[in-house]
Amino acid sequence: MQPEKFYYDNKIVRNFGIATVIWGIIGMTVGLIVAIQLYSPGMNMGNQYTTFGRIRPLHTNAVIFAFVGNAIFMGVYYSLQRLLKARMFSDLLSNIHFWGWQLIIVSAVITLPLGLTTSHEYAELEWPIDIAITVIWVVFGINMFGTIFKRRERHLYVAIWFYIATFVTIAVLHIVNSFELPVSAFKSYMVYAGVQDALVQWWYGHNAVAFFLTTPYLGMMYYFLPKMANRPIYSYKLSILHFWALIFIYIWAGPHHLLYTTLPGWAQSLGIAFSIMLIAPSWGGMINGLLTLRGAWDKVRDDVILKFMVVGLTAYGMATFEGPMLSLKQVNAIGHFTDWIIAHVHVGALGWNGFLTFAILYWLIPRIYKTQLYSKKMASFHFWIGTLGILFYAVPMYWAGFTQGLMLKEFTPEGILKYPNFLESTLRIIPMHVMRSVGGGFYLLGVIVMAYNLVRTAMQGKLVANEAAQAMALAPLPKAAKDGTWHRTLERKPIQLMIAALIVILIGTFVELMPTLTISSNIPTIAAVKPYTPLELQGRDLYIREGCSNCHSQTVRPFRSETERYGEYSKAGEFVYDHPFLWGSKRTGPDLAREGGKYGNAWHYNHLMDPRLMSPGSIMPNYDWLLTQTLDTTTTIAKINAMRKLGVPYAPGYERIANSDLDKQAKEIAANLYTDHIKIKNDKEVIAIIAYLQRLGTDIKANKTANK
Amino acid sequence: MLLMQPGMAFADNLIPDDLQNEIAYWIIVGMLLLFVVAMLVLLKTFKVLARVVLKSQGYTEEQIAAELAPAKKVKKPKAEVWNKLLSLRPLAEEKELLIAHDYDGIQELDNPIPAWFSYLFYATIIFAVGYILNYHVFHFGQLQYEEYSTEMAQADIAKKAYLSKAANRVDENTVKLDAEPGVVAAGQVIFKQNCVPCHGDHAQGVVGPNLTDEYWLHGGKINDVFKTIKYGVQAKGMPTWEKQLSPKQISDVANYIKSLHGTNPAGAKEAQGEKESDDDAKATKKA
Repeated sequence: MQPEKFYYDNKIVRNFGIATVIWGIIGMTVGLIVAIQLYSPGMNMGNQYTTFGRIRPLHTNAVIFAFVGNAIFMGVYYSLQRLLKARMFSDLLSNIHFWGWQLIIVSAVITLPLGLTTSHEYAELEWPIDIAITVIWVVFGINMFGTIFKRRERHLYVAIWFYIATFVTIAVLHIVNSFELPVSAFKSYMVYAGVQDALVQWWYGHNAVAFFLTTPYLGMMYYFLPKMANRPIYSYKLSILHFWALIFIYIWAGPHHLLYTTLPGWAQSLGIAFSIMLIAPSWGGMINGLLTLRGAWDKVRDDVILKFMVVGLTAYGMATFEGPMLSLKQVNAIGHFTDWIIAHVHVGALGWNGFLTFAILYWLIPRIYKTQLYSKKMASFHFWIGTLGILFYAVPMYWAGFTQGLMLKEFTPEGILKYPNFLESTLRIIPMHVMRSVGGGFYLLGVIVMAYNLVRTAMQGKLVANEAAQAMALAPLPKAAKDGTWHRTLERKPIQLMIAALIVILIGTFVELMPTLTISSNIPTIAAVKPYTPLELQGRDLYIREGCSNCHSQTVRPFRSETERYGEYSKAGEFVYDHPFLWGSKRTGPDLAREGGKYGNAWHYNHLMDPRLMSPGSIMPNYDWLLTQTLDTTTTIAKINAMRKLGVPYAPGYERIANSDLDKQAKEIAANLYTDHIKIKNDKEVIAIIAYLQRLGTDIKANKTANK
Repeated sequence: MLLMQPGMAFADNLIPDDLQNEIAYWIIVGMLLLFVVAMLVLLKTFKVLARVVLKSQGYTEEQIAAELAPAKKVKKPKAEVWNKLLSLRPLAEEKELLIAHDYDGIQELDNPIPAWFSYLFYATIIFAVGYILNYHVFHFGQLQYEEYSTEMAQADIAKKAYLSKAANRVDENTVKLDAEPGVVAAGQVIFKQNCVPCHGDHAQGVVGPNLTDEYWLHGGKINDVFKTIKYGVQAKGMPTWEKQLSPKQISDVANYIKSLHGTNPAGAKEAQGEKESDDDAKATKKA
């Protein structure tokens, strides 16, 4: 039998590579801007489209889905073809995948600054884009499985197991977390509310880290590291164990993002227990990688690509140990909501995802251009400035996290908070934030140098768009062929492998989500909690539009330091009409769950116009456009109807009188502001957002007032 | 006339917090820079030292250059113990472990799962099971709401114990007018820190009312002022301060406000509330 000749598609790999670098630079630049905004609010350029609340999601989306996303597709399209000895299934699908994905990113770049957001972290894009993501993801899946089916290699290598698990799990996560009811072309409400919505979001959010930032990169590590080091993979058995253990256990760990919230205690404990069990499976990948380098450590000294890989794997090991530690509730009590978490994710993102991506780019671009890397010196500079960047980023952020976490918990002997004003802790850590942005700047500089180096490399070579290869066609499997082990058998059955992976990830999903979503006793209702008034509902949507939840949480944890600072701890029943939940995950500013009635309307008016009037030194940006923009009340009917469909008990026909109720409440607030000499028309957006803020947490608030 | 007030408990650190933070900040910056510098210096020192040592042994320049270039030869594996600990087999035996198959040239070894890895995995599983049993079966550990009750109860005991010793148990019923300059000065500090945005830097009134005239919305007696500060006036936007200021501090700031009576600051807000001419005010003036 003659070997078959065929060609690998390098052009699509090159395209994804270019997209990786461009979006990487854009995403990191936005990151640097938002980092600077945290000590210099003027960096929003006095412009609503570039305030922190709107472009912080742009940063996260750009680096996760544009930078890392394109890097995944680059790595998968390169390695998949070679591991299967086959060209990609369809060039057309490859191109639809590429351009579709770029279009989705462009739509994110447009819609997020406009304030079109679902507010679900790392899933902010609105419903039409969610549909587009689903379509493109399916295109990717068909293309991948099509290639697998026409392969010339009987067994699937460990890298491909990870790719398959990535594909199937991301599909499940994305679809379940995107159950939303459209209100208009670019506005929707999440189907779940409050605690349920929070659980779904963090089941998604945590596993986006697992199955977008971890498993595809482990797959890529399994292909590129042995190639780069020219060493065999250390242990096939370890690959099997850590692959299945990782995907099974990871899916359970989501609730550790919701410790000390109103999530049922059993779900929190499951999240913690599984997070601890995740240490070894996570480390399995690092160990297999580092031990693969056994006997090649002398190469690491000379080869900058291997240096990137080693630091990347080490960062992965540190982040996957720290994660479980942070999920212990005693540690979480201090670390959650602080910069500690920001440090933690950036060790993973900059170290693991970033450095692996750079190593792969440095290795792959010269190969598909049939040339040498333009400058090894520059690559070496990139490695060192990047490593320094990570250090300068992470160390100050850890310090800032401990400082703020501890300050907010400190009491005086008289039994009152030592730092009752949240702002004191914010101001304390500003120098740390300055240094963090320096670290981020170093890192970005390295990436720009890399971009130049790669462009010069490409210019001195010539792209081998179609790389010739040959392999024997797959002969039919002889009957009664024995593979040795059951796993070896599974490795030649892609569909069964996918189904097995699906079942494994659905177990944790069902056990944790189903009871919370279906058993009512998990969310005790409170009679005093009433739906939002139309004005408050509109104000809430403005709160979502401005991305307030990026800096302000809305959940008071049951700690003395929080109930003294903010008021009674939050109850599950308070959030039953919150589509979506707005608990947030970071307190750059104070919690707002009990903000209602804490200050007067005039205070909020002045504070939104210029926060420094009421809180000298505040780093919150001015929201002066809320004072001039007119509230769009044409959406009220659709919003009330949508909410009713989701189970919010607005009386039948209420949508018809909703706007007159809205006007009435707006006039009251405007009149109240007038008594403080503030003249503002009652149709301005600021009125709605004040109405919402004044409602927050008041349904069950125990009022202790001197004079009624 | 420097009177140290016992109420100023927040100033009891020898080094102010801000300064502490500043120091910590520069320590971190310094450490990071030092780290970089130390690495560079070490590298340089090593090279220089090596040069000196080699020269003293009669090496020529070329030989020295050759010695200092990155070593080509692989170091002999001396880490037998290390290999045992990690359950690694010697590299020489690697060929026996190669699985007779490759993917695009990538081979795999049939190494066993390292024993320490398995033990780590078992240990975490045991921990996880123990964790669930501890909190949900045997109930030795407290879940969050229980934990909260415990925390609050302990805090209450500690607070009571402290306040019974400290002489600052004062409330709206027992607060006394006090025009002692130290008290007023302490009150002024607190006022500047907390009250200025709404009441103005001379208490002339901004969003909140003018506090220097004879008109009071919620009573102008020292007890009333104390009460208003302590509990706030929710409907009017006056925050509750009892969780942020100690009773002594509330008393100080109330006394400071009383001391401002009749100061007629520039830009004073118009009168709000009831006119009151209480004896308290006169007492303050005399003092």
